[in-house]
Amino acid sequence: MSIEIKTHSVEPIRQTYGHIARRFGDKPASRYQEASFDIEAKTNFHYRPLWDPQHTLNDPTRTAIRMDDWYAVTDPRQFYYGAYVGNRAKMQEAAESSYGFSEKRNLLTRMPDATREQLLRLMVPLRHVELGANMNNSKIAGDATATTVAQMHIYQAMDRLGMGQYLSRIALMIDGSTGAALDQSKGYWMTDELWQPMRRLVEDSLVVDDWFELTLLQNLLIDGLLYPLVYDKMDQWLGEQDAEDISMLTEFMRDWFKESLRWTNAMVKTVAGESEANQALLQSWINHWEPRVYSALKPLADASTGVAALDELRDQLATRLNKLGLQSQGESA
Amino acid sequence: MAIKNKKLNLKDKYQYLTRDMAWDPSYQKKEDIFPDEQFEGIKISDWSQWEDPFRLTMDAYWKYQAEKEKKLYAIFDAFAQNNGHQNISDARYVNALKLFLSGVSPLEYAAFQGYARVGRQFSGAGARVACQMQAIDELRHSQTQQHAMSHYNKHFNGLHDAAHMHDRVWFLSVPKSFFDDARSAGPFEFLTAISFSFEYVLTNLLFVPFMSGAAYNGDMATVTFGFSAQSDEARHMTLGLEVIKFILEQHEDNVPIVQRWIDKWFWRGFRLLSLVGMMMDYMLPNKVMSWAEAWEVYYEQNGGALFKDLERYGIRPPKYQDIANDAKHHVSHQAWSTFYQYGQATNFHTWMPTGEEMAWLSEKYPDTFDKYYRPRFEHWAKEHAEGRRFYNNTLPQLCQVCQIPTIFTEKDDPGQLSHRQIVHEGERYHFCSDGCCDIFRHEPEKYVQAWLPVHQIYQGNCDGGDVETVVAKYYHINIGEDNFEYIGSPEHQRWLAIKGKAPEPAPERSGQDAA
Amino acid sequence: MSVTALYDYKFEPRDKVENFHGMQLLYVYWPHHLIFCSPFAFLVSPDMTFGAFIEEVLKPAVFAHPDAAKADFLSARWQLNDEPFIPDVAATLSASGIDHKSMLTVTTPGLDGINGSAS
Repeated sequence: MSIEIKTHSVEPIRQTYGHIARRFGDKPASRYQEASFDIEAKTNFHYRPLWDPQHTLNDPTRTAIRMDDWYAVTDPRQFYYGAYVGNRAKMQEAAESSYGFSEKRNLLTRMPDATREQLLRLMVPLRHVELGANMNNSKIAGDATATTVAQMHIYQAMDRLGMGQYLSRIALMIDGSTGAALDQSKGYWMTDELWQPMRRLVEDSLVVDDWFELTLLQNLLIDGLLYPLVYDKMDQWLGEQDAEDISMLTEFMRDWFKESLRWTNAMVKTVAGESEANQALLQSWINHWEPRVYSALKPLADASTGVAALDELRDQLATRLNKLGLQSQGESA
Repeated sequence: MAIKNKKLNLKDKYQYLTRDMAWDPSYQKKEDIFPDEQFEGIKISDWSQWEDPFRLTMDAYWKYQAEKEKKLYAIFDAFAQNNGHQNISDARYVNALKLFLSGVSPLEYAAFQGYARVGRQFSGAGARVACQMQAIDELRHSQTQQHAMSHYNKHFNGLHDAAHMHDRVWFLSVPKSFFDDARSAGPFEFLTAISFSFEYVLTNLLFVPFMSGAAYNGDMATVTFGFSAQSDEARHMTLGLEVIKFILEQHEDNVPIVQRWIDKWFWRGFRLLSLVGMMMDYMLPNKVMSWAEAWEVYYEQNGGALFKDLERYGIRPPKYQDIANDAKHHVSHQAWSTFYQYGQATNFHTWMPTGEEMAWLSEKYPDTFDKYYRPRFEHWAKEHAEGRRFYNNTLPQLCQVCQIPTIFTEKDDPGQLSHRQIVHEGERYHFCSDGCCDIFRHEPEKYVQAWLPVHQIYQGNCDGGDVETVVAKYYHINIGEDNFEYIGSPEHQRWLAIKGKAPEPAPERSGQDAA
Repeated sequence: MSVTALYDYKFEPRDKVENFHGMQLLYVYWPHHLIFCSPFAFLVSPDMTFGAFIEEVLKPAVFAHPDAAKADFLSARWQLNDEPFIPDVAATLSASGIDHKSMLTVTTPGLDGINGSAS
């Protein structure tokens, strides 16, 4: 029940590249596999970096975490570049449609002034957090040796830039593309007490040297509390403040975070499961940073959803960490 | 910052969507957040004068790149479905792909790593964003090249373990050391090396041979990759220009630093491209143009125009440019001679040019080919015909800096090798040229670290004492399939079968086989 | 001049003679015989005599060249590290001042490669 196009039956002499065959056998490999495993240089580096003579190029000891094979950490989404941009393009089209609809209907300008003010104070400054995440993930991408790990982080870095841009566009919609709202929002970031704990946390993250500590902090702890607080709890709260239209404009962030949970969980679970030493190290980092993340978000929660919502999310983060074999100092700990 | 109540123009809006997300830190010191920005001596007085080389927001990036990927992979699929590898001009062409995948593709990934790191290192947010975009672009190139050549790997030899070979095979230490040199440098030198010297000045000299070579030889997958990458490279080139302008405009003290980097990286790039020139003149069955012509158009003319403009900043053309320009008449032949005789240790095949091909070379190189290279080629061809295909069983001397065997000749005496020697802290170091000497003299602490393949073999660090073991076990070159003479190789046989021709008998390999 | 780095930047040269397990590197260049693309890099024992080196190492290396049969290396003009050098067939390499990574250049007058093309 089909038409059938016959082509030459030409027997290949092998099914995939050698480096893939060594890992998966000589059978047809996926594009994710062919593009993501053992691509980086592993040995025989010619010169120590002038910027870090204590390590070689592609040195696995730039983190205190030890893995027999970093390729145990893979991306459950199987994102190589093509899959990544294709996925983001689809998300972008949906966002473009929403932003276009919102602009066409002047949804943001129909909002009460007070609500718009809250957006500029409580949501738009997050674009600066996004820039911090962008920088952190770019560093991680440069430091991580395995391609599977490095590429997840460069995608993460670019995603953060993109989401910061979406947040910026919200402000530009509010101010009629003059930049006034963005300036105002940046003022909050720089001087509003509400944001100082978060800004300090972000700036502190910018001097974290161990890349795995940084990805744990940035991608699991900070995002793990911040995204549900802002894009679920606060979104709901905004809906109650006559700003339900903003929800359409942050759908991208919700979808993105839901997806990012998958790879961050997979990564940390794999690393934690490798050895007790890794687990202990991860736990020490969690002990150090998790309270700071909570504290950094508390003012934002106070000003919007109430701290109970944040506490609830802290519990959920604790549960999540439990599933990864780790503990949180949150209330459920 | 735009005047209030006035709608932002495109430039200002893009700045709001990129650099305005950055802020001046107060809880941490700026030099702690950006530790690498100053040690090279480059002085930046005002990052706000950075001109965004392109204005691509992430939503636009995703959208356009996704469409490019879809089209590109549709073509990869069609190429595979239709056994497009059978439509190339000749199987010898595929040896160019073997060189590309093992020599260039790993550099794309290294560029990703370099730009990802550099994309964090500048306090100028605009510069960071541009570098990050290049990082992900180069990751794309690395992956799309893997995928483009995956089909070839199924039907030809020598493509099967490119990344592994890149770290080990003797001639691949040339591109590897080039990029290691750049990646081990500070952020500004990295950008001068890659964004300016490589992307802007030398990229055409890399792409034209490979991508146009693909076009001329019926390789739809590779040339489509090339078309698909062009819009990426256009962005990379504009970044290269902006980088050099920005650095030079920020402080007069930057000029001598940049000048030295330009001299160094021009020379390192020129040396690296000797592999490309060889490919262009010898590996392409259908030839695009001669390497000498390519050098004239893409370096002497285009580069000449650029350096004429750079003179306004007090930058002179690269120091040994005249030597490089003269070498265009020799480099490809010298390189092919080298690879021909070391064919037992390459992941690609070599052969002697046919009579027609030698005629073409003679026409393109009227002053040099017949005089210096035809005699050896005709000698080797005759030897091959008589069953003594020439393989050089002795390892070559390598240049300490460019790591190419010291095969290059004096500008004014093409019969004489251009060898130089320096004694540094009691150790002898050997070089192929004054250019490489200069580079060593400036940073000897760096180049004493060079991992020279010949020396490593002799130190026993390559899984074996004899070349054959090294080639098979350490290099992962499949003996008799990937290496040795093309004529009579399994690949040659298979190609003849594809084309429905009778197999030619493989000449008996001479006694000068791999030791 | 010295490299500009963020921290102390000093590393052992990778190719010190100690890394060659008692052997040493010796480069030999035979001008105007460019079918050998570059000077040879030989791994030799410092205790090898110069004569043995010529017979057992150099001659096999140059065997494929038509001029090889005609070359009288012992009577040729030698340079060691760009300085004139008079070889002693009985002397060891170390005794001859041929140290690690030394460069020997041997010029054979009248032998100018294939058809005099320096190849």
